[in-house]
Amino acid sequence: MLSLIVILPFLSAFIMGVVYLGDTKKKRYLFYTLIGVGIPAISTVLSFIFGIQLLGGSEPIHHTLFQWISIGDFNIEIAFMADRLSVVMISFITFIGTLIHIYAAGYMKEDEGYGKFFAYFNLFMGSMLLLVLADNPIMMFVGWELVGLSSYLLIGFYHKESSNITAANKAFILNRVGDFGFIMAISLLFISLEGSGFTFESIKANISMIDHETLTLIGILLFVGAMGKSAQIPLYVWLPDAMAGPTPVSALIHAATMVTAGVYMVARYSFIYIEIPDVGLFIASIGAASALFAAIIASYQSDIKKILAYSTMSQLGYMFMAVGLGAYSSGIFHVFTHAFFKALLFMGAGAVIIALHHEQNIFKMGGLKKELKLVYITMFIATLAISGIPPFAGFFSKDAILITAFASEHYILWSIGSLTAMLTAFYMFRLLFTVFHSQPTQRKKLHALPATMTTPLVILAFGSATVGFLGANEAYGGNSWINTFLALPDRALNISHATEYMLGGLNVFLGLLGMGLAYKLFAQEAQEAKEDSLFRKVVIHKFYIDEIYGFFILKPLLVLSDFIAKVMDPKIFDGFIYLNVWGYRKAAVLFNRLQNGKVRYYALYILIGVSVMSYYLILKLKVMS
Amino acid sequence: MLEISIFTILATFMLGGSIAMISNKQTLFSAFGFLVAMIGLAGMFALLDSRFLAIAQIMVSVGAVVVLSMLTILTVNAKNENLPDEPHKYKWILFSSFLVLPFTLLMYKSTTALYQSFSSMEAISSKVVGKLLFSEWVLPFEIVSILLLAAMVGAVVIARKERRKKERRKSKERP
Amino acid sequence: MSPQLFFLLASILFSIGLVGLVSRKNLFVLYMSIELMLSSVNLLLATFSKVLGDAGGSVIALLIIAVIAAEAALFLAMTVHIYRNNRTVDSDHFDKLREEAHNA
Repeated sequence: MLSLIVILPFLSAFIMGVVYLGDTKKKRYLFYTLIGVGIPAISTVLSFIFGIQLLGGSEPIHHTLFQWISIGDFNIEIAFMADRLSVVMISFITFIGTLIHIYAAGYMKEDEGYGKFFAYFNLFMGSMLLLVLADNPIMMFVGWELVGLSSYLLIGFYHKESSNITAANKAFILNRVGDFGFIMAISLLFISLEGSGFTFESIKANISMIDHETLTLIGILLFVGAMGKSAQIPLYVWLPDAMAGPTPVSALIHAATMVTAGVYMVARYSFIYIEIPDVGLFIASIGAASALFAAIIASYQSDIKKILAYSTMSQLGYMFMAVGLGAYSSGIFHVFTHAFFKALLFMGAGAVIIALHHEQNIFKMGGLKKELKLVYITMFIATLAISGIPPFAGFFSKDAILITAFASEHYILWSIGSLTAMLTAFYMFRLLFTVFHSQPTQRKKLHALPATMTTPLVILAFGSATVGFLGANEAYGGNSWINTFLALPDRALNISHATEYMLGGLNVFLGLLGMGLAYKLFAQEAQEAKEDSLFRKVVIHKFYIDEIYGFFILKPLLVLSDFIAKVMDPKIFDGFIYLNVWGYRKAAVLFNRLQNGKVRYYALYILIGVSVMSYYLILKLKVMS
Repeated sequence: MLEISIFTILATFMLGGSIAMISNKQTLFSAFGFLVAMIGLAGMFALLDSRFLAIAQIMVSVGAVVVLSMLTILTVNAKNENLPDEPHKYKWILFSSFLVLPFTLLMYKSTTALYQSFSSMEAISSKVVGKLLFSEWVLPFEIVSILLLAAMVGAVVIARKERRKKERRKSKERP
Repeated sequence: MSPQLFFLLASILFSIGLVGLVSRKNLFVLYMSIELMLSSVNLLLATFSKVLGDAGGSVIALLIIAVIAAEAALFLAMTVHIYRNNRTVDSDHFDKLREEAHNA
């Protein structure tokens, strides 16, 4: 039963792919919608069933399909494990995923690649579920790679524009760079364990076998993989470009699920990371830096989807800050709440884009609050959530993270986090006010939005408003239910309620401050940021990171490739072969001259042979002695 | 003593003759050298008490073979210009003799290793040869005679002028 | 007198014949070198005949002389034939055994 959750999406992807390839032009709208949306729905139901089972206190559920590799000590089975962490993940992944599938049915309706889209989308679902439900690191890696592949396929969905393909390549290649670290980590782990089983549970049991230096190395290398997948510094540059894909793709993959795989991975390997708190601090610092960096850039961006992309990167930074400091449950909790409001934000943005006939620059929108009332209200709720205003979900999760930072006396991280919280509120409300409040621009009549697109917005808005209470601390009347349920090895914190209230109040204050600032600057008349000062110029160009990478990394690589292709290959390798050919030709000419048809010469050759043999015999038989 | 001196003289004839044979440019002079070598060989046979063989050698090898080759040489009658020009003749001879040296050595050593002395026997006269030829060696004898016949026929066939084909060709061209 | 002298002489004669075979182009000299080689074998046979006390060696030598005669007839007939067609007695002239060189 457990394996069905993963197998069904793969199967449906395969079926839809085959049917689509059978006749690319034919629109089988009903067929694709039924299967494409129905299968994730079934997976959702199954996930909830397992969730309820685990809620009732049962042990983690295992299910093995078959033995995949068996070479000496290296035994990998295709097996799934549903423990509390996985079950929380698959619950919201499948639920939000199904909602986004419904949304996509409306969004992609006119597109001729409808069937292909749902095939890829379901492939992604299957891969993500495989990643989360994996029983051992190798299966998780398979899921990890497949998710990267689906991301590539979906970003480059509008394949007729070559810039989209470039963006897809960028995503895949940067992912691969991260995966290099990931593979090295898994290999190191395997070697250090010396053949005592390779599932997560057995690794957890045998963790004391590995010495501290190796553990540190493994921890860092695993995080390199997470850097690529979850768009942290320095491997983040693919995320803004990935917005070239259709909006449902951005909503599902690059907001709610795939990019959180890195955070999940750190939580899954929590039994390693609790042994190496220094690496954890490193992770947290990277997370904080990424959060602030992205927030600054987002404040000057004009494309609605790019703002949301940088926002995702920023929130991911928060999650890594949490898991780095040992608060694994808080990190996962933020993943959970973030999925709700970020998916909602993206879907709302998509609705606006469709309504305005594919316009993406926020400064060309404005005053939509009357015409797109439903979208406005839902996005407003989501923006409040992300800014950390209670009682919406974002407040509780973000608060938990900042409290962890403060309580573990990493005040620098705490202050960066708080500053970023203010900036988050600022740029998110900047987006909201510019799109919905400010002066409307001249435009055509709006495109109508189908119900399939608006209903999920409502559901998610409801979720953004309420799910926060699942993880509320005792100070706020909750009982940290999600923390206790997840039972991850969190670090114990000592903090009084008074301090908690103070910090919480500070968060709310910063959020309102950002909101007010945005209102003042953008609610009436929104103007695009101009490149007035040097600071502005640098930030608008995203700190020129892409250009720096291009100059320092790509250019030398290309020069090297050029050198090898034009100089080394033809001259050295081909030259060596030509040398051989020349040698053979010369030898052939020589032998040709030996064979001149004159019998006398042939007799001479025989004589030479006989002579050599005779010399040899004389030596051997010692005739002369 | 006597035998050794006779041997020496005959050996000189043979060696001198053969060396002259291989190194002369004029064909006829080579043939003369060959003649001398064959006569020397006949003397050797006599020295070895194979009297019938000595006579046969003179009759056949000298009297028939050498004479016949001289006849052919004179028939062919190549002028000096038509003779093949061999610019590096002596170099070739030196090189080949150097190559052939170990082989000679090997042959000599292998034969001397076997037998060190003559045994005493009466001279091999025609009587003995005749007896053997018709008792023990009769089969090779017959075969050799057939061989001679075939060679004769073959020689005639190879060497005759081809007139008939030319006559036929001429007769076809006329009408 | 010992057989060694005769053996030595036979070996040397054989070598001289071999050298002549390889070095000279003239067909007649070629032929006579071959004859020389055969004769040296005859000498060897006669020596063995005396060493072993067996007259059979002599008989074999006799038969070989007959073969020599047959061979003489054929060789010379061929030489005459060749000379008629090609007007040369140069053995290097007849090199049809080789393949024509292709332009590499």
